[in-house]
Amino acid sequence: MEKDGNTMRLLIKGVDTPFINALRRNVLAEVPCMAIDEVVIIENSSVLHDEIIAHRLGLIPLKTDLDSYNLPEECSCKSEFGCNLCRVTLTLDKEAKDGTITVYSGELISENPNIVPVSDAIPIVKLAKGQKLRLEAYARLGRGKDHAKWQPVSTCTYKYLPRINIDAESCDACGKCVEICPRKVLAKKGDKIEVRDLLACSLCQDCADVCPKEPPAIKIGWEENAFIFGLESTGALPPERIMIEAVKILKKQLKEFASQIEVQKA
Amino acid sequence: MKVNVLKRTKNELKIEVEGVGHTLCNILQRKLLEDENVDVAGYDIPHPLASNPVIYVRTKGNITPEEALLKAVDKLLEVSEEFSKALEKALKT
Repeated sequence: MEKDGNTMRLLIKGVDTPFINALRRNVLAEVPCMAIDEVVIIENSSVLHDEIIAHRLGLIPLKTDLDSYNLPEECSCKSEFGCNLCRVTLTLDKEAKDGTITVYSGELISENPNIVPVSDAIPIVKLAKGQKLRLEAYARLGRGKDHAKWQPVSTCTYKYLPRINIDAESCDACGKCVEICPRKVLAKKGDKIEVRDLLACSLCQDCADVCPKEPPAIKIGWEENAFIFGLESTGALPPERIMIEAVKILKKQLKEFASQIEVQKA
Repeated sequence: MKVNVLKRTKNELKIEVEGVGHTLCNILQRKLLEDENVDVAGYDIPHPLASNPVIYVRTKGNITPEEALLKAVDKLLEVSEEFSKALEKALKT
């Protein structure tokens, strides 16, 4: 429907609520992305404790390359430490030589130029004169169900597609519904009320409540099996890719379940 | 994913599924209930943190619950396939 940078909105018709909810749940919890998972602190004389810095590093979104990296538990190396196919090393070496400095995410040096922080301007810590920070961080793929830092999206929502019925016979275009609507969905055109922006409607029913006619001349409902699906990527993956991965994962889960049932049947 | 059978008769099946959640159970339940050969279908997660979902299916007798489950999965795979095709088409334009 529309796309703007990292956010995307889709108009989906012809699927039921459980299916769309399964997609939303998979986007949030199952689509993998990269995040810093382990940090070796070599030197830290800043005011923040090692673990706070490690946590802050973990929450930095990293650009993810799903095709060339494996999930650690599925990687052929079977090593706890990881290998080149399931781990990326990022290093940071900063010292405040003269005056206070702020260390930003852009100063992390990655061994793979494709796996870098989405934004260079995330502050990690402030260093006063003479303080030092030296560390090595290991980024891995993970899933949102294990930690929110592995969520590829910041929000993922769906809502019903609104349906607005205006009874032309009883409506006298008094304009009260136009005024009260918080999303400016309606507009007055001549002696008629018209829907200006259907998708903005939040189904709040204020327009129906304020209508002086009995029964109200305006009726707010929603379409069966039609949804507006909103997705806001952190920048780790493009939103299109996240959707495609979510369906792929759903299919995989279904196939695995079916094979388990086959085993039980036999 | 692992399936443990808790109860099984000719037309009833109660299974515990390890490593899945509402995502899979909810779409399965809906598709099972759309099947006219299925009498009762439902699932429960006894404890939200500490347990696996338990799926219960009872059929009207003309098919086994396993067949009903497989049929539901097939239908869902069809829907997903259709959806991914429509998605790819929509993303291209």
